Amino acid sequence: MRDRGSAFLMAPALAWLAGLMVVPCALVLALAFFRRGLYGGIDWTFTLENLALVFDPLYGGILLNSARIAGLVALIAAVAGYAAAFAIVSRPRHWQPVLLFLAVLPFWSNYLIRTYAWIVLLNREGLIVQAARWLGRDGALPQMLYTEGAVIAGLVYAYLPFVILACYAPLSRLPRDLAEASRDLGGSGFTTFRRITLPLTLPGLAVGAVFVFVLSVGNFVTPALLGGGQFQMVGTLVYAQFLTAGDWPFGAALAMVLMAVMMLLLVAQTWVAERGTGGRRDA
Amino acid sequence: MRPVVEIEGVVRRFGSVTAVDGVSLAIAEGAFFALLGASGSGKTTLLRMLAGFEMPDAGRILLDGADITRTPPNRRPVNLMFQSYALFPHMTVAQNVAYGLEMERRPRAEIRARVAEMLETVQLLPLAGRRPDQLSGGQRQRVALARALVKRPRVLLLDEPLGALDAKLRGQMQLELKRLQHEVGITFIVVTHDQDEALVMADRIAILRAGRLEQVGTPREVYESPATRYAADFIGQMNFLPGHALPGGLRLPDGGLVRVAGEGPVQGEAVAAVRPERIRLGPGENTLTGTVRALAYHGLDLQLQVETPAAAEPVTLRLTAGEAETAPGIGERVTLGWAARDTRIFPA
Amino acid sequence: MPDSGAGRLVLLILAAVFAFLYVPIAVLVGLSFNASGLPTAWTGFSTRWYAALLQNGEILGAARNTLIVAAASTAIATLLGTALAVGVELRRRRSRGIEALIFAPMIIPDIVLAIALLSFFSLLRIPMGLHTIVMAHVVFNLAFVCAVVRARLKSFDWSIVEASSDLGASLVTTWVRVVLPVIAPAIVAGALLAFTLSVDEFIIAFFTAGAGRASITLPMQVYAMIRFGVTPEINALATLVMGASLVALALAQRLNRRTLGA
Repeated sequence: MRDRGSAFLMAPALAWLAGLMVVPCALVLALAFFRRGLYGGIDWTFTLENLALVFDPLYGGILLNSARIAGLVALIAAVAGYAAAFAIVSRPRHWQPVLLFLAVLPFWSNYLIRTYAWIVLLNREGLIVQAARWLGRDGALPQMLYTEGAVIAGLVYAYLPFVILACYAPLSRLPRDLAEASRDLGGSGFTTFRRITLPLTLPGLAVGAVFVFVLSVGNFVTPALLGGGQFQMVGTLVYAQFLTAGDWPFGAALAMVLMAVMMLLLVAQTWVAERGTGGRRDA
Repeated sequence: MRPVVEIEGVVRRFGSVTAVDGVSLAIAEGAFFALLGASGSGKTTLLRMLAGFEMPDAGRILLDGADITRTPPNRRPVNLMFQSYALFPHMTVAQNVAYGLEMERRPRAEIRARVAEMLETVQLLPLAGRRPDQLSGGQRQRVALARALVKRPRVLLLDEPLGALDAKLRGQMQLELKRLQHEVGITFIVVTHDQDEALVMADRIAILRAGRLEQVGTPREVYESPATRYAADFIGQMNFLPGHALPGGLRLPDGGLVRVAGEGPVQGEAVAAVRPERIRLGPGENTLTGTVRALAYHGLDLQLQVETPAAAEPVTLRLTAGEAETAPGIGERVTLGWAARDTRIFPA
Repeated sequence: MPDSGAGRLVLLILAAVFAFLYVPIAVLVGLSFNASGLPTAWTGFSTRWYAALLQNGEILGAARNTLIVAAASTAIATLLGTALAVGVELRRRRSRGIEALIFAPMIIPDIVLAIALLSFFSLLRIPMGLHTIVMAHVVFNLAFVCAVVRARLKSFDWSIVEASSDLGASLVTTWVRVVLPVIAPAIVAGALLAFTLSVDEFIIAFFTAGAGRASITLPMQVYAMIRFGVTPEINALATLVMGASLVALALAQRLNRRTLGA
């Protein structure tokens, strides 16, 4: 009876997810195996050309470049975010929720607006140029907006709070006496960090880094706004296939590769997390 | 012989709370020393100052005559066995035990040999490859012990070492710890709130109350001759009879006299104290009569609660199993007697 | 640790991170009150850009669309998500498939869900507009509502349900009088979260809105304006949107804290 009630309660939501998530996703993945129609439609003949095209030097290069940028973003965000979370945890207990809240707060403001803030900072009449001019050093400044650096800065900015949050949880849950035990047994502060604190909180850091990578690699807004018109990443490429170039099957193939990379990373991260800490741990 | 540990007038405050308030203690080489107190008595803070995790606001701590008050924990030849054990969850039993030796940068071969030897001593060698979450509570406790002992510290500090174990295992481990301490010959300082544990394991006990020392002595001394009313109450069971002190005894509210041998107040409000097992049925140097209100069978003994006109609280006495055969029933009138030398008197 | 060197490093890190996080936002908010509207010079405090905003029919229309989408998708998602949460927690056995299905909307890249829904709607020849945005937003919103309510149900003491029926309450009475009041703050918090997400969501709305101005939402409007260039009105709009998110977040936080009893 309990299970029947449960099925009854779950049915509408699961049906919604099935109809508007599973089926459309399956459909778009299926599109990857068909030919592009003459006038932007779909020609229903099976082909692997689209997938092959993804790995063509031109598009493969964009794919690799996206991965490189996302990797850099994940690395920078992981280091900065872990340091920030560590700093928050080492403040007195009653301050921590406030600091954490402040660190995560920007995450809740509109993504477009946060990205736009960087345009304001970086553009040719932007604040940084103004500040440099005021200091009399504006001649030394290179172009900042519409560069890869701007895209990386924007992505790190967007996802740093997420990493802080992901790292804070395991760091604050780590029993204080483990670090104390290490000190007691003769470990210096750094040794204790390297051998106890870091390994035990690595899964949280990995979750943060993997998600930042996944969110960055397929990002469309940030490269479009901060990278300028010529800047291409997988996300902008997919966007272009669907909304301007009209090559849906190729766009679908790109999305498929994106999903595959993402799945692979998430599975790997789960696997590492489960092995790294010897499975279950005491609460 | 110079004591291993000397604590001199140590004070530690947390905000407006004084956790440790001017404690001075000397602990002899090879002792099994217990810091006994209720929660909030400052015993754990004192232990953490010995380990180096808290700095005293005043006073000094000496180890072998050298001042270690400001020495960081990783530079002290003192190790702590944490109440939670604090085993590293990502390391095996052997890796946990080896950790402290690795910190000393010992050669690999030596580390391996000493870890194996230590695990053998605590009978955990077969479990060397396990992770802490694959061990029982008792096994974890022994890993924690081994991890601290393998460094051969001058002093081993134990924070409620048996607190996380169930009652039966605790009894075994009390004797096991005592055997182990004898075997390794290291000074043990154990913090506990459990007076039985302190009595069984320690050869010296310091009773702490609100950050101050109440009494220091052998288990026998603190049990037989408690220095204060608090110590008398905290260790073992005790009957208290309030009244007026006078030379040689105490006048009960109902007019009766309790004779006291030994020192104590000779005037003013006071309490006479006597252990339940010192009271027998039948008259003695001190005698009370009353009615049996409750009986509780405890296996080895039978506890009687007797209501008397002399005190508001019923008087408890313990009869041995043999005596229990002829014990009175509930509602019966009984006479209770005990000796003057078994009676203490404290200011009320 | 009482090590002052490490303590100073910690403060330095915190200062750097918070500066990085807040300087861009502060600049934006500051500029929105600059009379000239340009970062080149401060020409005095002014609310003229806010006034201009209120006279901009396109922006107001987009704001109206956003509220419609957010309200509708939140209402549906709250209903479905709460039922889903209760249903899942009620089950005796965990099903990996169902867990994955519920978790998926939170991790699928926006762009993938966006193109999937675009293909789906157009191949089925479903005309797109505000209603398709609502349908799409319900997908992720219900997952978030479900997650928030489930977090509350995890710490829910099911024995009070048994206690209630033991005291003679029917199943329905038990749910209305015992279970719902306990999880109600979580439901409201979940709904607020969903509303905020929907108001802010851009990519999926962008792909499922169909052609024409009729179904443009606020983020789509903001995107168009940003592409066009830096205009002082965006600063004001951005400040308002951030303020609104802040209020919604504060509300959700309060409710959530109360539910978790912390």
